[in-house]
Amino acid sequence: MKKEVPLAVTLILGLLYIVANYFTGNDGLASLKSNLDSWYLAVAAWTTAIGMVNLAQIHGKRVAQKRDGWFYSGWLMVCMFGMLLASLFIFKSPNHAGWKFLYNQLIAPMNATVYATLVFYIGSSAYRSFRMRSMEAGILLGVAAIMMLGRVPLGAMLLGGNPALGKMADWLLNVPNTAGMRGIQIGACLGGLATALRIMLGIERNWLGGTGE
Amino acid sequence: MWEKLANIDRRWIYGLMIFVIALALIKPVGLAIVPSDATKAAYDAIAALPSGSIVWLGCEFSSGGITELMPALKSIIRQGFRKDLRFVAAGMWEMAGDMADQAFSLVPAEFPDKKYGVDYVNLGWRSGGDVLLQKYLTSVSDAAQGRDHYQASLDTLPLMSEFTSLKQAAMCVIFCTGTPGETAYIAHVTGPNNIPLVESCISVSVPGIMPYVQAGQVKALIPGMKGAAEYEVLVEMPGPAVAGMDAQSFSHALIILFMILGNIGYYATRGKKA
Repeated sequence: MKKEVPLAVTLILGLLYIVANYFTGNDGLASLKSNLDSWYLAVAAWTTAIGMVNLAQIHGKRVAQKRDGWFYSGWLMVCMFGMLLASLFIFKSPNHAGWKFLYNQLIAPMNATVYATLVFYIGSSAYRSFRMRSMEAGILLGVAAIMMLGRVPLGAMLLGGNPALGKMADWLLNVPNTAGMRGIQIGACLGGLATALRIMLGIERNWLGGTGE
Repeated sequence: MWEKLANIDRRWIYGLMIFVIALALIKPVGLAIVPSDATKAAYDAIAALPSGSIVWLGCEFSSGGITELMPALKSIIRQGFRKDLRFVAAGMWEMAGDMADQAFSLVPAEFPDKKYGVDYVNLGWRSGGDVLLQKYLTSVSDAAQGRDHYQASLDTLPLMSEFTSLKQAAMCVIFCTGTPGETAYIAHVTGPNNIPLVESCISVSVPGIMPYVQAGQVKALIPGMKGAAEYEVLVEMPGPAVAGMDAQSFSHALIILFMILGNIGYYATRGKKA
C-alpha cells in the first residue's frame, strides 16, 4: 500500500491535470485545475525550506566533523541563517536599508562576479579546443570566428563598415543552428513526454524513494 | 618556442583578458552600433501598443544577468513611459523583485509624474515556476498572495484593481537567463491567449530561442548585450550596454587571436610529436 496509493494518486491527478489543460470551458475542470495549481504552489514554497534543511544537514555534518573546507561550510551556514533571521525579524521588507545594503553590496556583486568569471574559462577553453585537427574541427573554428566577430561592432569595423560578417553570423544562427536546435528540442520534448508517462504508469519509481525495485 | 605557443599558460590568457576588458571599459573607443532588424522589431512592437496598455515585465533572471539584461529592461521602461504604457513586473526567479526594483529606480528621476501603484507595480517573486504563471492567468491577487514585492496589499494599488489576470496584458516582455523562461510563457501564457511575447535574453541563450522566433512564438528577440546596446541607441539613451560592447568586441578579438596562436603552435609542433 505504501507504493500503490502514491502511484494511484499520481496517475489519477496526472490524467485529470492533462484533461483540464486540454479541455477548457468546463467549470468543474477549471476549478479542479486551479485547486491543483494552489496545492502545487504551496508545496513548491515549502521546497525552499526543505532545501535549507538539506543544506544545513550536509554542511552542519562537515563542520561538526571538521572535514576539509569545514570553514566554508560554516560560513555558508552563518550567511544563510543570518540572512533568513535578519529578513524575518529585522528587515521585514526589501525596502529596508539593511536589506538593500546586503543585496546591493554583497549578493548582487558576488552573483555577477561568479557569472562574469565564465569569460576567462571560455577564453582559455577556446584557445585549447579550437585546434584544426580535422576538417570538421576547421569548420567549427571558422564558424566560431565568424560568430564572435559578426555579433560585435568590431566585425563591421574591420571590414570598413561592411556588415558581411554580421549577415553571415545571422545566417548561421537562422539556418543551420535553428535546424539543429529544433531537432534537439523536439527530441527533448518527446523524452520528457516518455518520462512523464513512465512516472504516471508507475514504470519509473525512483521518485518514491529507494532504488525503484 | 612553438611548443610554448601551443601551450600558453592560462594565467596569461586570464591576465590579458582582464587588461583588455578593463581598458575598453575605462577608455571606450566608441565603436558604431547599428540597430539590427531583430532589435528594431522589438522596439516597433512596443511602439505599436496603444497608450495606457498594461505590459507584463517578466524578470526571469538574477544578478548574474544584470550586465546583459538590465540595460534592455531599463530602455523598455523608458520607451514605455514616454508613451504612457503601464507596467506590472514579476518573475519566477528568486531575484525577480530585486531586478525590477533596480530597473524602476530610474523612474523618480526621469519620470517624476509616474507613480508606483498607478503606472507600475512590482509583484516580485513567488515560488511555483510555470504553475505560478498559470495561477497569474486565473487571479493575479491569488498568485501573488495579495501582496507586492514590498509587502504592500494589492488592494491599495489602483493599477491592480484593473489588472486582475495576466490575460489582460497587452504584451509580455520577458528578460531571461535560463529556465524557467520563455518556454513557460509560450506554453501557458502567450500561446494559448494570443498575447505577443517579446524577449531579451543573454547571448548564450540566443541559439536555443531562434526556433521560437522563427515560429512566431517569440514576436521579437533582443539578443544579449548587443541587442541591449542597440535598444539603448534606439531610445537615445546610451548606457552601460553601449559601453560594454567595446569590451565585448575586444575580448572576442583576443580570444580569436589566441585561437590563431594556438593553431600556429599546433601545426608547428605536430610533426615533432609524431
